[in-house]
Amino acid sequence: MPPLHHTSNFTFIPTILSPHPKIPFQPSDKKEIQQAMSKYFEDPAWADITPLPLEDGGPNALAQIAYSAEYDELMQYLRAVMAANEYSPRVLALTEDLIELNPAHYTVWLYRFQCLVALQSDLQRELAWLNETALVHLKNYQIWHHRNLIVDRLGSSEGEARFVERMFERDAKNYHVWSYRQWLVTRFDLWEQGELEFTERMIESDVRNNSAWNHRWFIVNGREEQGVPGVSDPAIRAREIQFAQEAIGKAPHNESPWNYMRGIARKSGMALGHLREFVEQYASLAQPDKVRSSYALDFLVDILAEEKGGKEQAGEALDLLASKYDPIRKNYWEHKKDNLGLAAA
Amino acid sequence: MSLAAGPGRGRVADGQLPDDLKLVVDKHVAYIKSLDTRRDELEYHLTEHLRVSGIYWGLTALHLLGQPDALPRAGVLDFVFSCLHENGGFGAAPGHDPHMLYTVSAVQILAMLNGFEELETKVPDGKMKIAKFISKLQQPDGTFAGDEWGETDTRFLYGAFNALSLLGLMPYQRPNDAPLIDVSAGTAHVKACQNFDGGFGLSPGAESHSGQVFTCLGILAIAGELDSHLGEEGKDRLGAWLSERQLESGGLNGRPEKLVDACYSWWVGSSMTMINRLHWLDQPRLTKFILECQDPDEGGIADRPGDMVDVFHTVFGIAGLSLMGYDGLLEVDPA
Repeated sequence: MPPLHHTSNFTFIPTILSPHPKIPFQPSDKKEIQQAMSKYFEDPAWADITPLPLEDGGPNALAQIAYSAEYDELMQYLRAVMAANEYSPRVLALTEDLIELNPAHYTVWLYRFQCLVALQSDLQRELAWLNETALVHLKNYQIWHHRNLIVDRLGSSEGEARFVERMFERDAKNYHVWSYRQWLVTRFDLWEQGELEFTERMIESDVRNNSAWNHRWFIVNGREEQGVPGVSDPAIRAREIQFAQEAIGKAPHNESPWNYMRGIARKSGMALGHLREFVEQYASLAQPDKVRSSYALDFLVDILAEEKGGKEQAGEALDLLASKYDPIRKNYWEHKKDNLGLAAA
Repeated sequence: MSLAAGPGRGRVADGQLPDDLKLVVDKHVAYIKSLDTRRDELEYHLTEHLRVSGIYWGLTALHLLGQPDALPRAGVLDFVFSCLHENGGFGAAPGHDPHMLYTVSAVQILAMLNGFEELETKVPDGKMKIAKFISKLQQPDGTFAGDEWGETDTRFLYGAFNALSLLGLMPYQRPNDAPLIDVSAGTAHVKACQNFDGGFGLSPGAESHSGQVFTCLGILAIAGELDSHLGEEGKDRLGAWLSERQLESGGLNGRPEKLVDACYSWWVGSSMTMINRLHWLDQPRLTKFILECQDPDEGGIADRPGDMVDVFHTVFGIAGLSLMGYDGLLEVDPA
């Protein structure tokens, strides 16, 4: 396919993925916030600063940005100190107040980091403050990026793995936190510091947590380029297949371990036939009414398709998927039949 | 453009049968127009850091609904120009730092409104200035940072390719000039983001996620490397993973064992369209799900039936319907 050109008169514009906007933190008690705000105007520590109102780009309606009074006041002080390139303890306090009001404002975070660096602030104290903030604003992206910058600069991951686990107690599938965990492992070489056991704990507490499965794959296979073998090593492969199979035993209709096992077979080039006995416990053509998982039946299709003379049986399994066990994906199952050179049902 | 949620909720109107569900086009148009007037609410300014993207989402929805002029063109352009910095980057709103995401939204708005001429009048060589802001954010490993702070992910890479192609400044669009960016380093990085399950994540090793599948396929499509990288086998594997995102309700989720959400109608649907496998979804059921997420009285679409509507889910729900050829909507380009 050639690169996509936009040639017609009306070229529809491709869409950018932007961060999923979360409803921002809303102060629970407006009055309380308001009192906190007016402290800046009356505080002698800020008397030298003239708050800087927003230049909103003209009189047109779209640019009229209506700040609420309290937030507006803080933003005016922030603009003023940024314009003066001021880095000081009071700027840290100001950014802290602003972040509490609106943790998604990326400029505030960046300026805070600059300020911490310029003041050579105690970064451990910053981490302690972040710990509290992160628990309040769990889904916020900037917090994790900020933490990343701080810990990188500290050069030590002391206490971080434990903190991350605490975060997972609140939301075990948080994408930012998992990304941060992977960064920690890579940055501080934590591959063999109990990380595999950590994935075991996470999967033990929720066998359907796909993020934990993904992390396990990363820990097992993430260093192959550096010469540390993953599932291409027969012993590791056997261990991982067993791990996936035990998980399937607990919850047969669970996409993650089936994908994991399929991934292992594919990466290591093993013949799928070795897994037939296991798979048939969950889906077998001998007992077409007792299929326990469509994932197992799909796996069986691939096993049969690899076998000599197994195509017709694979077709039977695909018909079962299309008609009974997973009809929402009927067209996909038909496509698989087509790929095997079998006529549609 | 207010990014505040609500006030309406997605639901099926009383007494309406599932088969009678229809997209309430006029109400969605009215809803989006109303967002521009809701400025006295706290959430309006708390979401200021997304403003220019919000305008893009609203404008895109209006284009798809066949009402491109429902927002005043001159006002939108003035606002966009007021977000432009000296270095060629755009912030989310006046006074906000320039950032890749908002630069991309601004370029998308300019392209949608044919505003590049005004840009050049206002800022001589403006397109090239923007392109240089973007290209300077490319890192040696091919990725792009979102801003000078070096945070990188595949969203920014997609944004860079998307914006440069709209500006007509991708290397293949000006073969006789020195390239502004290293395309193959970028696509090599994307390929490293592909996982054992056939999907793509935010960075190498990160969990497969429908939104990231969209950005990665978009990058490969814009670079013309989609077919050569995936092949039919890769498309089958990825298509299978994507089609698993559809649940009994007809809606789609972003990764295994997560809740369905109307916005994935776009991320999953466009990805499947790019690999020619949209028909693997049960489209009547997906259509029904999206229509159950709309507020039939006041317009707007929510993530799920019963939740508050917002502009983000409105545009991606509508874009999902457009992919499926819903009657009366303009056709959308999947990349």
